[in-house]
Amino acid sequence: MGRYIAKRLLYMIFVFFLLTFILFMLYQLMPANRAYTDAHNEVQTMKNLSEEERATKFEELYLRYKRLYGTDTDNKLVLYLRWLGLYPYYNGEFNGIFEGNFGFSYDYNLPVVKVVPSHMRNSFLIGVITEIAVLGVTIPLGIKCAVKKNSRFDRFTQFFTLIGFSTPSFIIYIVFIVFFCSILHLFPVSGMKTPGSTYTGWRNAVDVLWHVTLPTICLTFGSLASITRICRASMIDALSLDCIRTARAKGLTEKTVIYSHAWRNALVPMVSIIIGGFFGTISGAMILETMFGFKGMGLLFLNATRTADYDMIMFLEVIYTFLGLFSNLVIDLTYGIVDPRVRISK
Amino acid sequence: MEKKKKENIFRKLLRWTVRGLMGQKYEEKWFGKRERKEVVYKNGVPDDSELIVSPGRQIFNRFMERKFAVLSVVVVLIMFAVVFIMPHFMTKYYDAFTETTQKDLPPTMSLMKVPKELKNNIKMIDSYGSFSVGLSNDGKVYIWGIGKLGATGLNVMDIPEEVKNAKIAYVAAGQDHVIAIGEDGKFYGWGSNRFGQFEATEAVLANPNLEPVPEIVRNGELDVSHIKKVAAGFQASAILMDDGTLYIWGNKQAYANLDSFIGRTNILDIDFTLNNVVGLDSRQSSVVTGKKGLYDMVRTKIYGSKAVKMKEFLNGRKILEIRATTINVCLLLDDGTVALTGDFQYDNVEVPDLAAGEYFVDIEAGAYHYSGLTNLGHVYSFGGDHYYQAEAPVVNGAKKLYAGAFQSYAVDGEGKLLNNWGLKGYLFGTDDRGANIAERVVAGGRITMTVGAIAVIIEIIIGVSIGLMAGFLGGWVDIFLMRVAEVFSSIPLYPFMLILSSLLAQVSMTTDQRLYMIMVILGVLGWPGFAYITRAQVLVARESEYVTAAQAMGVKETRIAFKHILPNIISVILVNMTLSFAASMQTETSLSFLGFGVNYPQPSWGNMLSRASNATAAINFWWQWVFTSAILIFTTICINTIGDTLRDVMDPKSTNDK
Repeated sequence: MGRYIAKRLLYMIFVFFLLTFILFMLYQLMPANRAYTDAHNEVQTMKNLSEEERATKFEELYLRYKRLYGTDTDNKLVLYLRWLGLYPYYNGEFNGIFEGNFGFSYDYNLPVVKVVPSHMRNSFLIGVITEIAVLGVTIPLGIKCAVKKNSRFDRFTQFFTLIGFSTPSFIIYIVFIVFFCSILHLFPVSGMKTPGSTYTGWRNAVDVLWHVTLPTICLTFGSLASITRICRASMIDALSLDCIRTARAKGLTEKTVIYSHAWRNALVPMVSIIIGGFFGTISGAMILETMFGFKGMGLLFLNATRTADYDMIMFLEVIYTFLGLFSNLVIDLTYGIVDPRVRISK
Repeated sequence: MEKKKKENIFRKLLRWTVRGLMGQKYEEKWFGKRERKEVVYKNGVPDDSELIVSPGRQIFNRFMERKFAVLSVVVVLIMFAVVFIMPHFMTKYYDAFTETTQKDLPPTMSLMKVPKELKNNIKMIDSYGSFSVGLSNDGKVYIWGIGKLGATGLNVMDIPEEVKNAKIAYVAAGQDHVIAIGEDGKFYGWGSNRFGQFEATEAVLANPNLEPVPEIVRNGELDVSHIKKVAAGFQASAILMDDGTLYIWGNKQAYANLDSFIGRTNILDIDFTLNNVVGLDSRQSSVVTGKKGLYDMVRTKIYGSKAVKMKEFLNGRKILEIRATTINVCLLLDDGTVALTGDFQYDNVEVPDLAAGEYFVDIEAGAYHYSGLTNLGHVYSFGGDHYYQAEAPVVNGAKKLYAGAFQSYAVDGEGKLLNNWGLKGYLFGTDDRGANIAERVVAGGRITMTVGAIAVIIEIIIGVSIGLMAGFLGGWVDIFLMRVAEVFSSIPLYPFMLILSSLLAQVSMTTDQRLYMIMVILGVLGWPGFAYITRAQVLVARESEYVTAAQAMGVKETRIAFKHILPNIISVILVNMTLSFAASMQTETSLSFLGFGVNYPQPSWGNMLSRASNATAAINFWWQWVFTSAILIFTTICINTIGDTLRDVMDPKSTNDK
């Protein structure tokens, strides 16, 4: 077990470096030169300078900023290593992500690590509630459909899940917004709290809850259909196993057969969905957050790409990549717990 | 002995058509009895004890039993045919088309529908943008078309009570207002008054950019019997008396030369282009605009003639009438010919050559087109033809002609409507740029489906070859390739797509290149799924006897992989291809919706919906997203149904009877 995890971790680290390298190289293609911009701006603010003085001053500042930002070389590998914090800057200091310097957001005028946590918390909050609601609905539904396969109830559910599965999530959100906001006027259209309000304590909590309810409902409905389908399919597969026939032949009650024998087998394919879903909540739901103006990770990323806030983009990419790899590891380890046949000692 | 001819595919198709359309009787009469193997079906599955059916045939048979799936196949095929063939017939369609006066119109077919009460009793008709106003001989006002003005809540179709009760002598339609003058000289107006179109409120009087309605008009002191013409333009209106006195008012910012017409008393004709007031003064030798040189180059044909200076062109002839569309002006001369001045955009119908002895007696102008009435009672249209509004039908005995916006109406001496032609309306409404949504749905479908299909093809090519290699070669190649697949599948799609999109936005790209980029990215990020499936299938197939036999016979490994194994796993790939096609379409629409996929002006089913992310727009302009998303959902449902059914019927374990 320990050896397996160590192996996986090593592999993870390798992939992490590979992906961040690719992304960093992409990022290098961006026509942004922070040192140039800063030096240029600073020279602009200076007065009483002749053209020549201005030029020399600019050169001087430009070099200083380049050294400060570590862009005083054209070697892309050095740039990458400096960004990681594995290669010293001009002044001999290491100052990369391993030292905790993830960059500076020009859009927020704050270090990116200061901006991200509140967004991450928002996304996580709404995501976890959604995930619990989704699993609470879909698992019983999927099991019931699989057990009563081809019954009227099953066909009915299948019909609706087919529609839901085929509908891009943003259309579901549009329909919900139109129905709940424009027709029923039940919920506010966007935002996290009533604009201009200074509620505190209980009032504030209610206000936030009122704003968050519709996004949560939307997000839940957006993923109901596909998970119900997966749950039903894996349960049908599990029910056709030989061990189920044996269990029934033993005279076990139908309840025991379904919930302890079949469900245990059906859980294996579900594991990646459940765990992946929980990790996915941290990454945020981009489309939903954009439509509701919900300050989560997705909106943060989208705004960063729109305003070309490159340090923010890179940091979020690092988080996304890390989350993806880490959730894969957790899924593989969970397989071993859920399915005793999967041995991970190798 | 007669040799039985083997039926070729065309003969077969013909035979099926005959059977489908005319029945089995005719089929047998013309094609002879079919040789039929009697297949015994048991529970819908061919009974193996009687006859052995090939697996492909069996799958086909089982598929054909699912009515919903067969229907889906038909729907998807029709959809493909529509989106790939229809654009060739939409000759007037182009991506970046905009038309301000037609924006945000709901689905309607009523733009040219003259009310029944008015049909035999027409006194005059005037249109602007999306609505037309008509006046009957007994002085009643009728309005048809779309009178709702955007999201302002104003509706020009709400005719004020006093107008309904009064006997009206003249009406005219402006961009967002209607003016009317009663038989007793009383002046009425309704619609938007933001620019003082019909009422001199305090705000209007205080605004130096607005010219208020002249007092004499407001007080109803006009002598109706001496009114020559009532005209309304974008945000201005004018009343012309037969002694040449002109009353003109409205937004001076929309019509910069409006000032030069105030208080004129020598005007014979007046009209409005989009930005200029054009008039004809008593000299009848030039288009009066108040600006020197504007509308001074005249020609007789739109394309086929050279423009000459007005003075040279007229050569003593006099101008009788001037009529203006959005940007150009048409002149009717005293010898019955027409002359044009100003620029012409795309898509025009040329001025007709009249037969000897026939000459124009009246010209009317729409938004881009002109319609002319001749002395023989025939009508002709020319000018802008984007909505086919310049394709006049054959009309005999027309005495009067009215044109406005994109429609023309030919009327006989008693006021009976003889014929009308032009823009009827929009099946799915128009979008915020005035483009026809129905056309954009078709053009957008072509792009969405192409992107989906090409992305899937790229996925299959990469995924299947890597899966085949990994599964067949095994060993370190397998491990390496699977690790690569893992890396690709752990790239988060949306962030990656967004970053690439914003990156490539810095590089100047044509819209087509952008489209290719989206296809390639979707394909390159999506292949691991196919690789996993192919590899798993190959691992199973490798152990089967036919592969061992091939290996024993010394067949080359690549040949085994592509000629022996691939055909056996193609069914699984087919299922995944279908499902992945739907998924790619969804990804593309989501990306385009966010603004990172296909961008305007190219339509896609995703970016056509992006306006609906605004709740107010989504409810006010419901037709802008309802139809497009319904078609998108319907198509994906059908594709997914096909995929699901294929998977079901290919799975030997599943049976039809539960």
